[in-house]
Amino acid sequence: MITKLAGGRVFDPANRVDGELRDLFIEDGRIVAAPVKARVDRTYDLRGFVVMAGAIDIHSHVTGGKVNLARLLMSEDHRDVAVARGAITRSGSGQATPTSFVTGYRYAAMGYTAAFEPAMVPSNARAAHLEMADLPIVDKGTYVMLGNDELLLRMLAEGGEQERINDYVAWMVRATAALGVKTVNPGGISAFKFNGRGLDIDQPGPQHGVMPRHIVRALARAVHELGIPHPLHTHCNNLGIPGNIDTTLATIAAAEGFPIHLTHAQFHSYGTEGDRHFSSAAARLAEAVNRTPNVTLDVGQIMFGQTVTASGDTMAQYRNRVFAKPDKWILMDIECDGGCGLVPFRYRDKNFVNALQWAIGLELFLLIEDPWRVFLTTDHPNGAPFTAYPTLVRLLMDRSYRNECLKTIHPAAQKATTLTSITREYTLEEIAIMTRAAPARILGLADRGHVGVGAAADVTVYEDDPDRERMFKSPRYVFKDGVEVAGADGVAAVPMGATHVVRPEFDRAIEDQIRAFFDAHMTIGFEHFPLSEGELADAGARLLAHPCRPRSRA
Amino acid sequence: MPARVIACPFCGLVCDDLIVGEGGVDTRGCAKAAAGFARPSGSGEHRIGGRAVSLEKAVAAAAEILSAARLPLVTGLSADLAGLRALLALADRAGAIVDRWRSSAQLGNVAVMQRTGGLTATFGEIANRADAVLLLGRDPTPEYPRLVERLLRNRTALYRNAPPWVGYLGPAAGAPADTSPGAKILVDAPLLLEALGALAALIRGRRITGGAGGELPLEALRELAQRLGVARYGAIVWDTAAFPAGDAALSVEMLVHILRMLNRETRCVGLPLGGSDNAQGAAQAMLWQTGWPMRVSFAAGTPEHDPWRLDAERLLEAGETDALLWVAVLSLSPPPAATVPTIALVAPDVVLPKASAVEIRIGIPGIDHAGAVTRADGVITLPLAASRASPLPSVAAVSAAILDRLGPAS
Repeated sequence: MITKLAGGRVFDPANRVDGELRDLFIEDGRIVAAPVKARVDRTYDLRGFVVMAGAIDIHSHVTGGKVNLARLLMSEDHRDVAVARGAITRSGSGQATPTSFVTGYRYAAMGYTAAFEPAMVPSNARAAHLEMADLPIVDKGTYVMLGNDELLLRMLAEGGEQERINDYVAWMVRATAALGVKTVNPGGISAFKFNGRGLDIDQPGPQHGVMPRHIVRALARAVHELGIPHPLHTHCNNLGIPGNIDTTLATIAAAEGFPIHLTHAQFHSYGTEGDRHFSSAAARLAEAVNRTPNVTLDVGQIMFGQTVTASGDTMAQYRNRVFAKPDKWILMDIECDGGCGLVPFRYRDKNFVNALQWAIGLELFLLIEDPWRVFLTTDHPNGAPFTAYPTLVRLLMDRSYRNECLKTIHPAAQKATTLTSITREYTLEEIAIMTRAAPARILGLADRGHVGVGAAADVTVYEDDPDRERMFKSPRYVFKDGVEVAGADGVAAVPMGATHVVRPEFDRAIEDQIRAFFDAHMTIGFEHFPLSEGELADAGARLLAHPCRPRSRA
Repeated sequence: MPARVIACPFCGLVCDDLIVGEGGVDTRGCAKAAAGFARPSGSGEHRIGGRAVSLEKAVAAAAEILSAARLPLVTGLSADLAGLRALLALADRAGAIVDRWRSSAQLGNVAVMQRTGGLTATFGEIANRADAVLLLGRDPTPEYPRLVERLLRNRTALYRNAPPWVGYLGPAAGAPADTSPGAKILVDAPLLLEALGALAALIRGRRITGGAGGELPLEALRELAQRLGVARYGAIVWDTAAFPAGDAALSVEMLVHILRMLNRETRCVGLPLGGSDNAQGAAQAMLWQTGWPMRVSFAAGTPEHDPWRLDAERLLEAGETDALLWVAVLSLSPPPAATVPTIALVAPDVVLPKASAVEIRIGIPGIDHAGAVTRADGVITLPLAASRASPLPSVAAVSAAILDRLGPAS
């Protein structure tokens, strides 16, 4: 069966197509060349519509024990927002932390065809993947959290060879069926378990005396040398602390030229200037990113309203508990490899700090010149639920709307931001880059994020509405692997998306060391820690492995 | 067959160091595991009204009962994760109420997590880090036989050189046989909440004079407060089932308060034991599918949670439900005596006191088929392997077959 998407304005930056009128053809879930003889079975008349690949969310907390604890904590959210089952859809609940099925439906209805869980604690991997088997329509994948795991810290303390660290990282990525590696407050989650309340990048951690700088360097290098496409996904030390821009810039330096991705950079771009000792350092970070080609980042924009912060960073979340609204919070230490903290937040435009956080995020978007290196996220649900994306797109594309909004925030925050002087408006092409082409490229998903021949037929069709919020909120058609999954009448079909993984090579000799460690110390057996493909397939997961570059040596 | 290391689903510890080989399963000295792995495969006959039928017919009869019912109840829920996911899909379609049987035991923990939060850790943190452990309310050993061996007396902990100080606070009847060299502070169950209140006050540095404090061992509590205050990484282990029913939520609330005070200066965590028979797997799957960990109704089309109204035991007693789908494959519990048509999805060795309307015999996950269950710490999910051949279906397969029979929602 061949489907023709006829006459739409196609924005496909990966193939250098910028708003040209094109026909697209879909067969067996793929974009194909215009058929010479074969009959077109169905034609969608898309004259006047905007066509892009399906959007990809590079950083969104959608699965795993941490998200489930957030759901438990946010009982008001689940009581107030209940979603009824439909003819083909399951029921569910929640706005800030929607249930798994609802998460898939909402993403699809918004034109997204993939979302990646960025903070999978290694020991929670099985639970996270089994939960993802109930996350429909969109593709998904995870980054495994390393850098607070006892064995890695010990290897670093003992001056372990980089080659062995690479083997360990590769083993972990395969064992947990991950697509990438993340580090969260490197060393800090571990330090908090030793009652450390802060950890700077050059401060030796407790027990092993390892400095975060060395963790960042070792992991960034491991990821690169293993040929894993996605650079080390890095949540820097000192999240949320005024003045943390120095830590963030030091983290870039710590990567020593290896590719590094800074996540939710907004929370790491704070200075200490002004009467309130809290200021925007977005310009400093943007300037560093603009001249450092090995750095990418996602913003973690905050939007005003109720949400919950869900993070692996127990140290930061313990600090943030004083801001909890409603006043309740959960903190958990996990299995000598991670942790999680849940703190509800209500970001207010009349609160100076929140208002400036909002402005800092927008400054980052607008001051970083290369849309291939900055990604649209709210760090769902930490800055705002992902359903805020259409509003965020409008803020980026519509300067007069942005300036109107700016006039309503805390007056001191208005004075503390340079936003009014920034004239930039994102184009549709730039939006297509930062939400499609660039995420696919930075994750190593060769057949996603574009609509060239051979690509997976993940396609979103929008009405060309000058109100970009309305446009991006309700696409006219969404195709997932060629199936029309959503449109004007909501969810139209519920296929299960794939789980994207990488399988870097490693020297099996490392397994002796890992086994000995598990046997002596862990409450999970070495035999049972790794996920098997069989159990994931039994659960309904469909794994799609992407190639790593050949492993390189130092 | 070469020896394999397998996980045990018969208590919330889910020990995964058991060895299965030619001679059977080495259960590492655990009587509960030994009994579990010795469970027979049974006849495996499916029945309608006591008469043997094919699985297909039993599934069709189950579907008929569910579609005729106005408010079916799905409970028991002692199943593996795949089974629970499929049961929830079925309940959603059937407009049923879903609850663990006897979920009151976990309600205190859930209610406090919802309104206050918590401060907890997983088994691996306790086993490697805790230098002072308070066992609260009762000895966890009968329910979790290897807890002391694996979490407190483990020999090669990462961050402690000696076994932790272990204390007990609770009634004499529930006290562990041996907590040396720690303290045993005996308080009758009805006074436990008050003892926690006193402990909180002492940790806060308040003086306690007069009042009901006279009945409490204040000196011992003062020493306990001090002990937790100087511990580098304390842990309080509790099982809400040990608290007097009306006191569970308040007791947990007081514990969270205590933990928060202690964490201002040092580290101390809670380990609320989350139950056996994959109780935490049920809570997790319900949370990700519905937003609620227990006591959910799909009757109105949207998931609705009510901790009192949707209690399975209350619903049956009050006669508010008109069909019962009972699931017990890890546990041996037969369905409660009910006057409503009952569909029993049970392991082959579950003895039914009277014939159910529909009886479907299910293989035991971890013996008869593979699967996954979640530990009582709620975070770690472990894989189960089949250790013998069995023709019996899984909860997941039967639930999916019943759902298929019901057809799409109208």
